[in-house]
Amino acid sequence: MLVVVTGISHKTASLELRGRLALDEGGALRVAQELLDGGAACEALALSTCNRTELYLYGRDSLAARQAAVERLAQHAGMPVGELEPSLYSYSGDAAIAHLFRVTSSLDSMVVGEAQIVAQMKAAYQQACEGGCTSVVFNRLFRHALEVGKRVRTETAIGERPVSVSSAAVELALQVFGKFKDHTVLIVGAGETSELTATHLKAHGIENILVTNRTFGAAEELAHRVGGRAVPFEDLEGHLAAADIVISSTSAPHYVITRERVERSLKHRRHRPIFFIDIAVPRDLDPEINRVRNAYLYDIDDLQHVVEQNRGEREKEAHHAERIVEEELRSVNNWLRSLEVVPTIAMLRDAVEQIRRAELERLGGKLGDLSDEQRAQVDMLTASIVNKILHMPTVKMKEVAGSQECYLYVDAVRTLFDLRINGSAPERGGDAAAGATGTADPPDATVHHLRGTGTDNA
Amino acid sequence: MAHASVIFFWLAFLLYGAAFAVFLYYLFSRRSAMNSVGLALVVAGVACQTAAIVLRGVSAGRVPVVGAYESLNMVAWSIVLVYLVLELFTRIKAVGLYVMPIVLVLLTVALVEYKAPGGLMPALRSDIVVLHVIVMFVAIGCLYVVGGAAIIYLVEEALLKRHRLGGVLGRLPSLATLEKLVYHATLLGLPFLTMGMVAGIIRAETFNVPHWWVDPLVLLSLGAWAVYLVLLWGRMRADWVGSRIAWLAITGLVVLLVIRFAAVPYLSGFHTYGG
Repeated sequence: MLVVVTGISHKTASLELRGRLALDEGGALRVAQELLDGGAACEALALSTCNRTELYLYGRDSLAARQAAVERLAQHAGMPVGELEPSLYSYSGDAAIAHLFRVTSSLDSMVVGEAQIVAQMKAAYQQACEGGCTSVVFNRLFRHALEVGKRVRTETAIGERPVSVSSAAVELALQVFGKFKDHTVLIVGAGETSELTATHLKAHGIENILVTNRTFGAAEELAHRVGGRAVPFEDLEGHLAAADIVISSTSAPHYVITRERVERSLKHRRHRPIFFIDIAVPRDLDPEINRVRNAYLYDIDDLQHVVEQNRGEREKEAHHAERIVEEELRSVNNWLRSLEVVPTIAMLRDAVEQIRRAELERLGGKLGDLSDEQRAQVDMLTASIVNKILHMPTVKMKEVAGSQECYLYVDAVRTLFDLRINGSAPERGGDAAAGATGTADPPDATVHHLRGTGTDNA
Repeated sequence: MAHASVIFFWLAFLLYGAAFAVFLYYLFSRRSAMNSVGLALVVAGVACQTAAIVLRGVSAGRVPVVGAYESLNMVAWSIVLVYLVLELFTRIKAVGLYVMPIVLVLLTVALVEYKAPGGLMPALRSDIVVLHVIVMFVAIGCLYVVGGAAIIYLVEEALLKRHRLGGVLGRLPSLATLEKLVYHATLLGLPFLTMGMVAGIIRAETFNVPHWWVDPLVLLSLGAWAVYLVLLWGRMRADWVGSRIAWLAITGLVVLLVIRFAAVPYLSGFHTYGG
């Protein structure tokens, strides 16, 4: 049994292809269910964000599972498999789990360290779980993956530093004001970055947004979009006195705000600090403003510089995060390996028990003169012999569960006793403790193990 | 008892040192769990230091505020308490990194000046002197924190102006926070300083200490008191820039340090018990 993942991401596919393969909520669940119904896998999950569409499968035959997934994706995109194939990546076994962990840790994201992916993964998992597409392995695996994502965020600083110009501007303003309460932001001129920055500021609690522009109509339009108020351009100095943060991005060829203007406004506002952000090229704000006490001026180059530095920091943190992923991979691998042991032991016991019963039945006629009590004793005797013989193999199997060589033992036992899997290993949507054959109870240790992780099953 | 006290002192010293290392690591690594780890170390440290102070007091049979070792220990202790109160009960966070070095330096000087607990000289056997000394320690604890915050304020402001904040962006307390810290800690410290000075004057008057007002320590304290008063007044006027307030706080800190490390051991006429 192996975990397989196949899909496309921003690293392998164009925006256009990503758009064609994107799955909405219902679509993701439908794809997963179809793959299960097709018998390609016994657990399935589809993840679709704007940067990736991936199918996770758990099945006996990893190649068949992958093939089914690829065909399903191609069908969804409405293109032949051959055309889709070059844009696909596929991993199986350890590599697939490592990929899952890297995705939830945002190490595979377009912007390393972005926070959305954990929520997206969580939603995808919850949906698959409620739709009955996940069971023992995926319930455990995806919850573990979400934990890994969380761990990476708390133990590394991967998502801490802003890596866009607008968020860097907000971060710098926060360094001055601490927390936005009754602060006012003034937007001079209209531009995409200033709009974005205003939106960021708003998300951080700024409520008063003033917008001014030489053409009042443009100011009104932007004010409407960002939920602010348009004010006349002629009274710029008065607004400066009210503003704590000024974002400027006009197309004026000269300075719109000079040092003298700032000095006068600061006097009006009793020298409370003003934070200036100049996004315009050529500059709108006189660089001399930065020399005024309690006025801080950052232009687009300064902000870009901050962003560059932060990118570098994130790269460094990413190395640390990779180590966490490796560590977590080891721990989940042990569990996956031990998972194979449980049904094998159960199957072995089942097979031997069947032989015992068959033999007793065959002897039935010859034991005719025995009393019921004697019959019971024969039954007990045979059962006890079987148990004694199976005791040591069971103990040894439990011992090797989780070790690297676990597969060898599982294969040996299955070959020697000719144990065949009937149907899929863990039953779909079934109880976490139900083994492959569903007849004998798995060893206690593993039952606890599974139940322990199955309690927060949402 | 005196031995146990020293052992606890060392434990506290090591815990504060560890906390400082953790805070430093926090600054550069940005692992958010680290601040809590550092905080836990400080709490453990202050518990040990409290034990050290109590045991010292018990072994000496008096309030342990006599001599350089005991008084510096007390100052460090009150600084840590002020820090913990700020960290746990206000929204002023992440100043541990800057408080710990001050505490460590004070404790190192205290260690150098270590003397076995001795008896109390007759002039100090008075309730009002005990009150005077304890209140002064609280005031000094607060005002050292004020000075520390002011230094960070000025450094951070300079970094912001020069666009060099890079590595510590989002890690240093914001300028607004530091300004608030300076204001609140002064607001807390100045009344204690006033109370301590009044208690001292009452003591001097009751016992007819001759010319107590020409003592350098008394004059310097009066100077520090005036500086902090101006600071509060300036802050309440609300049109002084933060850096002016910060420079005042640093002036106050310098005066306090002169008192502590020059006036008490070398200059004062009758405050010499502080050593």
